[in-house]
Amino acid sequence: MPEPSTTPPDDLSFEKRWFRHGILSGLPLAAPGLPFGFVVGFLVDETASINNLAGWASGFIVFAGSSQLAAVELLADDASALVVIFTVFLINSRHIMYSAAMNPRLTGAPTWFRVLGSYLLIDQAFALAENQPEDMALRDRIWSFLGTGATFWVIWIAAVTLGVVVGNVIPEEWSLTFSVPILFMGLMVLSIKNQPGVIAAIIGGCVAYVTRDFPQGTGLLLAIACGVTGGTLAETRLESAEETAETT
Amino acid sequence: MRIWLIFIGCGLVTYFSRGSFILFGDRVKLPETIQRSLAYVAPATFAAIMVPAVLGNEGLASLVPPTPEVGAILIAALAVWKTRNMAIALAIGMVSLWLLQWLGL
Repeated sequence: MPEPSTTPPDDLSFEKRWFRHGILSGLPLAAPGLPFGFVVGFLVDETASINNLAGWASGFIVFAGSSQLAAVELLADDASALVVIFTVFLINSRHIMYSAAMNPRLTGAPTWFRVLGSYLLIDQAFALAENQPEDMALRDRIWSFLGTGATFWVIWIAAVTLGVVVGNVIPEEWSLTFSVPILFMGLMVLSIKNQPGVIAAIIGGCVAYVTRDFPQGTGLLLAIACGVTGGTLAETRLESAEETAETT
Repeated sequence: MRIWLIFIGCGLVTYFSRGSFILFGDRVKLPETIQRSLAYVAPATFAAIMVPAVLGNEGLASLVPPTPEVGAILIAALAVWKTRNMAIALAIGMVSLWLLQWLGL
């Protein structure tokens, strides 16, 4: 990690070292976006009811991989506009929780960053930001976030473009899209900071498996809710157990 | 035209989900308990996305005996836990997957 900025807190001007740090730490997390975006691209190309230009543009209009995949699949099945948009909302509503969790770390951030940052707050950007120290200078936080966001954006758009243009040319046996579950496994491990975190992950994973056939991503939401509740309860119990141990 | 409007709708619901708190800045404050519980959003969400993707259509049957996917994800988990480095974990995970598939395990 680069040295922290020593400028006054209200100086948020471009900070090259942290921007570069954001790019470098974002690259490995963005790599699975290549095969994933490629798949979204060639599915757009193969789906007759989606014109290629609109499908390609959805890469930066929506900028959210798993929900784009769901939208394309639904449109291929002639789903209604409302069903598509609602499904995308349900799949992406986890970002409401990311937004809430991130907000205290952005105290004092200017409007331009909040407007742009909202667009770039994807899973990996959230995971990276969560792992940064809480006392990090706002200037460094903002520019590393933007470096990471720019990296994801470029890689995602390039991958979707490639998929739309060249079509399905990567043999499925290469299983390149398996890098996506590996990515999420990695993000999970890095995000676990204590025992309750382990419990949140176990409950989230198990509930998601049991509810995998629930319609429109509702299973995912239920799984997150159960995992978060489980983690919080575990934390409370652990704390009260420690207090009892201290008093006795 | 219809397709464009649908994607714009998808983009708007996504953008405002991401911006729901960030956009309002320091004006919104959640109760302390809720703010604390949000620390568990990341592990719960990432696990919930990953588990069904790894188990696939075979479900629990892919655990015993483990499929190449299950084997590779466990090796990748160990790699990221030990190194805290996603690039290494990705490389090790993908190579393990190819090896396990090739060995027919």
